[in-house]
Amino acid sequence: MSAGSRVIVIVWLAALLACGAWLYRHVSITADLSVFLPPSATPAQRVLLGQVREGAVSRLMLIALEGESGPSLARLSRELTRELRAGGLFSYVDNGGAALVRREQEVLIEHRYLLSPATRAGRFSAEGLKAALRENLMLLASPAGALVRQLLPEDPTGAARDLARLLTPEAAPDTRYGVWFSPEGKRALLMAQTKAPAFDANEQQRAMEAIREALARAKPGQARVLLSGPGVFTAQTRETVETEAWRLSLLAAVLVFAILAAAHRSAGAVAASLLPVMSGLIVGITAVCLGFDRLHGITLGFGATLIGEAVDYPSYLLTQAAGGETLAATLSRIGPTLRLAILTSIFGALAMALSSFEGLAQLGIFTIFGVMAAGLTTRWVLPALLPPRAGTLKLRVPWFPGFARGEKARTLGRWFAAALTLAALAVLVSRHDRLWDDDLANLTPVPETAKALDHALREELRAPGVRYLVIARGASREGALQSSEAAAAWLRKGVASGWLAGFDAPSSYLPSQRTQELRRMALPDSTTLAKNLEEAVADSPFRKGSFEPFLAAVERTRAGRLLDLKDFSGTALELKIGALLFHSEDGWTALATLNGVKSPEALAREARRAGHEFLDLKAESNGLVSGYRNESLRLVALGLACIAGLLVAGLRSVTRAGRVLVPVLAAVLIDAALLLVLGKKLSLFNLVSLLLVVGIGLNYALFFERPQRDASERARTALSLTVCGATTLSAFGCLALSKTPVLHAIGVTVVLGSVLSLFLAAALAGRPAVRA
Amino acid sequence: MTSGQRTGFEAVLAAACLALAAAALAGGIDAKELMALLAGVETATARFVETRHSALLREPLVSSGTLSYQRPNRIVRHTEMPQEERIVLDKGRLTIENRTLGSATAASLSKTPGVSALVESIRATRAGDLAALERYYEVRVSGARAKWRIDLVPRAPGLAQYVDSVAVSGNGARIARIEVREASGDRTVTEIDEELR
Repeated sequence: MSAGSRVIVIVWLAALLACGAWLYRHVSITADLSVFLPPSATPAQRVLLGQVREGAVSRLMLIALEGESGPSLARLSRELTRELRAGGLFSYVDNGGAALVRREQEVLIEHRYLLSPATRAGRFSAEGLKAALRENLMLLASPAGALVRQLLPEDPTGAARDLARLLTPEAAPDTRYGVWFSPEGKRALLMAQTKAPAFDANEQQRAMEAIREALARAKPGQARVLLSGPGVFTAQTRETVETEAWRLSLLAAVLVFAILAAAHRSAGAVAASLLPVMSGLIVGITAVCLGFDRLHGITLGFGATLIGEAVDYPSYLLTQAAGGETLAATLSRIGPTLRLAILTSIFGALAMALSSFEGLAQLGIFTIFGVMAAGLTTRWVLPALLPPRAGTLKLRVPWFPGFARGEKARTLGRWFAAALTLAALAVLVSRHDRLWDDDLANLTPVPETAKALDHALREELRAPGVRYLVIARGASREGALQSSEAAAAWLRKGVASGWLAGFDAPSSYLPSQRTQELRRMALPDSTTLAKNLEEAVADSPFRKGSFEPFLAAVERTRAGRLLDLKDFSGTALELKIGALLFHSEDGWTALATLNGVKSPEALAREARRAGHEFLDLKAESNGLVSGYRNESLRLVALGLACIAGLLVAGLRSVTRAGRVLVPVLAAVLIDAALLLVLGKKLSLFNLVSLLLVVGIGLNYALFFERPQRDASERARTALSLTVCGATTLSAFGCLALSKTPVLHAIGVTVVLGSVLSLFLAAALAGRPAVRA
Repeated sequence: MTSGQRTGFEAVLAAACLALAAAALAGGIDAKELMALLAGVETATARFVETRHSALLREPLVSSGTLSYQRPNRIVRHTEMPQEERIVLDKGRLTIENRTLGSATAASLSKTPGVSALVESIRATRAGDLAALERYYEVRVSGARAKWRIDLVPRAPGLAQYVDSVAVSGNGARIARIEVREASGDRTVTEIDEELR
């Protein structure tokens, strides 16, 4: 090894060691799926994503027990609830049983006069009380008598009764054996809320294990537990990344290794082929960790495949080094082509790196630095490490050169390529309005089966995902609550007009201080009330003195303090209010969730008039995704323009640049059209994959386009490209086998694209044999 | 095998059958048998008188009206005195119409657990639907075919909070009396005079 080589190897090793050491101390891998959610621009989108990331709704865990008889499932449901409440990982667990509901009822009953919209002076006059007692008598004689009777002595005006009617959700889960059940009675249902946020995969995993262990301790028999919810998705995704992605990557690595071994038939050459990828990985991870404070597990998985093309660089070098040629001589021959191949990949990834979507920006940075490191390793370290004549040409590929060289075959290929491209364009144009999948839900790497289970459980728990919201804002909590009361007023009119079936606003549970004050002022003093009551009772069959608790309750409210959020602590209502009323960078926000919306237009109009915001979460999230996608498309166009400029400069000819670029663009078009014909809509992940196809395809085209001096050089080019094509196909073929939608989408897109690129590059970019 | 042995065996068998029949007529009845008996009724109409004994009232509150049942899912309670009220439970849906209050409300059983459980105690007993009864109550059957009694203790928290126990008694396929003991100390007794078809 020469002195120069030694210096290069030492610098390379030192750089890798430095990266490795820094990573060892600083790397933090997250499974937070929201990294893969687009960033938000408007306050409404911030509300949406805030809810998705940290909102109470996102910490909801749906639990179902099945596989045993109804009574045993009910017993298990009760035991599980008790254990989980004691366990400390959940802020709240509910199975429809009594305890929690009763706590909540106590709070509502205690503050009924402050909460009830019916608290007005007339209600407490002698006449008002007479009417109330007549109504009570009638109710006592009905099947509801037992229920009315219990609160009657302290609530003859029926304030608590009215409240219960007002606040009971329109649809509650079915109850059997005292706990929630699915309508057909096969599953016992529970709802829990984790203390940890949904994106904390470790804590979510712990919570899931706690549920399974608690069930195992309760002698479950044949009973199984089903879990769903955002946190469960996070944990499952991490598990998928850790098992499936790594398993598939391993499989891909073995295949690539086998192909390299078959091509080079030399342990040293195979080992050398892997060095650039390894260096690229380490540098790529370091770059992402330096640029962002955390590395997403998915970035790691996808990034590793994205720089998979780096395996090709040493293959080009080693297979191009003809029998007697030194690596240095080969490099001086193919160096410019290799450099262009590497630079075009970097420019392609630049578009991703500029994205405002953190997940994609991470992938872009990873690719840029990974590819750069792999390129530098190939260019400088390999020649320094390997013996000068390490070139290999052990395999012959008889059919490929024939295809690439035969004039007739090439003409035929050109026509075929042109026809295919036209057909693809026709498909794309005819479906231009249905190209993109803008559903945010489809961007999560959650498999369809898990989504279906989630949907089923939500239906059974009558907790469907919320689509429409009304946002009322204020500078303070009090301001937001007053604004929420104003929204509730016009929403009630909307319910009366049939625009919606119902709504849930925080001011129903926690009226503003101003409203509570007004209600408290409507209550008469104790002597007046006692006189009015005496008059009303004398006129009725009720016994005198039956309603002493009522007098005491009214006086308690008059003398006591107003209702506050902390009065609800430890109840489901605390969580509900917390989810609907919160503070953020935009001040205080009060949400009202709407159900059974029939006329979104009328509601939007009314909201605008009242100074509130009407939010269609689905439209909003679709807008978010399509907005992001438009940004990405602009960046891709920019990336392509840069690549074109680079090619023109590097090849010093517009014609040659065109010859390289055209087959790649055609491959991308045909690839996209094929995906559509296969019944898929294009997602952001397809877009990323198409960028990768551009990178890989350009490498093929560049090598095909290189002037070939003789038959032996043509054979070497064919061999290089065969080896490279085979490694790409095996790596992404493995990904296409994945059950995770995102991995599958990337795999299929790249496999199709690289096959197309290889053939189109052979047909369009290849040059006829130059007669020496 | 001799004929003497056979006669002896047949005698034992006959005695066993007789004993079983006697037990069925005079002795205990179990939940299954009683439910089968009640389930045989297609329609029933009855007059009822309900009396509420309450510490809040100067004298017991009496209401009366008619009950009608159609197998297996429809029951109508029509109160005539002291005021008109119609409560219909049909295929799990509860409708309450009160002309005096001028109100009509409808709800599914799952939304109003307390009231539904009470109405269901009559409906499910009338229909001989043990599974439905057990969904809401612990069920204990005692007495004989000619005079039986079903004791129901609510398990659904929505009802247990208000009702300590419900006792339904009757003879043959007829329901004669329902007594509800409430957590408040009140007691409601409904006397029923049924006509079956």
